[in-house]
Amino acid sequence: MNGRRNRLGARITGLIFVSWAALPGPLSAQAPPPYTRTLEGYAVPEVTLVNQEGAKVNLKAMLESGEPVIVDFIFGTCTTICPVLSAGYANLQTKLPAGSKVHLVSISIDPENDTPKVMRDYLKRYRARPGWDFFTGKREDIDKVMRAFNAYIPNKMSHFPLTNIRDPKTGKWIRIFGLMSSSEFVAECRKAGIL
Amino acid sequence: MSGPRLKPLLKSTLKGTFAMALGLIVLAASAAGLGAAPGDKASAALAQGERMYREGLLPSGEPMQAVVSGDVPVAGTSFTCVSCHLRGGLGSWEGGIVTLATNGARLALPRYWKFPNLSPEERKDLKLQNPPARPAYTDEALAHVLRTGIDPGGRELHPIMPRYYLKDPDMALLIKYLRSLSAQLSPGVDATTIRFATVITDEVSPEDQQAMLVPMNNYVARHNQISNGFGNRMYLGVGGNEMSGSYRKLALSVWRLKGAPDTWTRQLEAYLAKEPVFALLGGISYGDWKPIHTFCESRQLPCLFPLTDLPVVSDTDWYTLYFSKGYYQEGQAAARYLHGAAESTPSRIVQVIQDGPEGRDLSAGFRETWQELGQGAPKEIRLAKGETLSPAALRSLVQQEKPTVILLWTGPGAFEAIKSLAGQPDRPGTVFMSSRLLGAKAYALPEQARTFTWLTYPYRDPKDEPSASKYADSLLAGLTERHPETRISTRTYSMIQILRQGLMDMDRNFYRDNFMDRLSMQRDQVLPDYLRLSFGPGQRYASKGCFIMQLGPGPEPRLIRKSEWVIH
Repeated sequence: MNGRRNRLGARITGLIFVSWAALPGPLSAQAPPPYTRTLEGYAVPEVTLVNQEGAKVNLKAMLESGEPVIVDFIFGTCTTICPVLSAGYANLQTKLPAGSKVHLVSISIDPENDTPKVMRDYLKRYRARPGWDFFTGKREDIDKVMRAFNAYIPNKMSHFPLTNIRDPKTGKWIRIFGLMSSSEFVAECRKAGIL
Repeated sequence: MSGPRLKPLLKSTLKGTFAMALGLIVLAASAAGLGAAPGDKASAALAQGERMYREGLLPSGEPMQAVVSGDVPVAGTSFTCVSCHLRGGLGSWEGGIVTLATNGARLALPRYWKFPNLSPEERKDLKLQNPPARPAYTDEALAHVLRTGIDPGGRELHPIMPRYYLKDPDMALLIKYLRSLSAQLSPGVDATTIRFATVITDEVSPEDQQAMLVPMNNYVARHNQISNGFGNRMYLGVGGNEMSGSYRKLALSVWRLKGAPDTWTRQLEAYLAKEPVFALLGGISYGDWKPIHTFCESRQLPCLFPLTDLPVVSDTDWYTLYFSKGYYQEGQAAARYLHGAAESTPSRIVQVIQDGPEGRDLSAGFRETWQELGQGAPKEIRLAKGETLSPAALRSLVQQEKPTVILLWTGPGAFEAIKSLAGQPDRPGTVFMSSRLLGAKAYALPEQARTFTWLTYPYRDPKDEPSASKYADSLLAGLTERHPETRISTRTYSMIQILRQGLMDMDRNFYRDNFMDRLSMQRDQVLPDYLRLSFGPGQRYASKGCFIMQLGPGPEPRLIRKSEWVIH
């Protein structure tokens, strides 16, 4: 019983903490939400994922082909941050010049539910253009990918907003933790030399 | 959050609850008066507002337009109010973001959790407010916050909240809907009790009824026993972790349906009229669940995890949470396995379907998934109810159609026919059968056929099943027979675990839609029977997995996995 009580206490305290952290008070309300930016050297695992068309893809080969690529982690029925991340992707696509090779990659963190059909419907909802692909796969492979990007979460409901931009020249990843405005996203792509 | 602070917060929370309850009573009374003569025009306006909230579409049919994260334009067709504030309007927490309640009852109340006597100016100076205070929303203030993100307390909302471009008439429709959304508590709950019912149809054996009812009654008794010591003063986990400050006793009725399924709706209507319940729990029928499902949809009555392998498969229906898609899901798994995991996609497929709802769902699950994967319709042969597939009939089928795969959605009567295929040079590469349909007889599949006969197996691998002693606590006490093959008591146990969490998450917000929202947002569960029960907003089938299994040799064969649990 004690254990249960402690877990509940932690949960409630956690909620209060989360809500304080997430909702800026009146004094800080005008400031845009900060995001953090770090440079990372991820070791992308050799896993085979499935895209929205049902095609199998080797993730490492795809991400390290030398073409510009951006990776985020979302799921089809998310109620908060995924829609905003995806609105950011959709909007970025409208700003890419014709013939741009920037590949937007969304990786599902809910592989049970995100079948190719769910992913196709999701992309359609965001009016995704060619160049934005959504991937699912075996849970153990998805876990490997999340760990490789330092994005592992045991439960999808506690995930966080993360965007990773690969610098094609250095092979390094710009890790952006938090939500960006459209202008910030474009600026980050420019800094990475992919726009 | 330090320890000493928690107590005053609790106190103010409880005070707030009392104030809210009073407010709700007033609001419910006034809404009841208005509701007496709704009028077509008013309900049409509400429907339009609901469409804006749920689908992001204006009355004109155009998507609502908004800007999010400062400068990212977004259309209502991508996501809309319901995506974050959920169907019941009570909001969500996910990804470090809290979206607040926007339902009618909350909007009509001021939100002063602390220091209720401060002026707005003084309030602005407070750095720590949780959640931030604001006065009650007027219609003008609501329009203002939806357009600008500035709430009536002067606070600017997080940029993740879209700022909507809405003309006055459209705005009025949305506000009207928000005012009505979860404005009155749902039926079946009063100050002391939440009422539930469970549905049992008359063909269910007494043993199977007991396998479900014993754990449910044990749970209700145990839950109610807690209040003997604490009355209604339950809060924050004292004496148990269910329902916190919203503690209610539970009452469970058994609604027995008699006679033909087309009379069930009338019977259910009569039960509900006589005794309003908040939701249905479990329930058991050997037949099609559809009449009960349809009733729940039409009355917006939640139903948690009925024990059926014949659920309604729908992308949009809302009120029944199922363990899985049942037989349909096994057919789906066979299609996905053959398409993706097998070495090469077979070209000639025949389904042999025993007449009945099981065969219908197995074959539909395969056919629809196979076609969705871009393949042609499989050839289908139907056996009459009780008809056995003879070796001669199967041979002639093989010679005529030359299938590479046969899906035999029949009972064990087909075993002799499958056995006769062994050693035939022109036999199909693979035969599929449903382990659930075969039941315990699946293990009697002739050894000669085990190398090429694969089983869809919708449960956890038995060797990975946690031993019964780990979960058979007092809930299952009193069951003289456990009948593990029916999985009735273990699935009931799982339903109860999910219900307990749902009751706690629902808190005092006893709205049926909110109950479904909270259940959908649970973390994934590892419970008996299924490898994983996975949730997500709007997801209605918790187990998405199914193994493809092969039987090992010997009289007590082992199951050998041919696939992952989830097959894409």
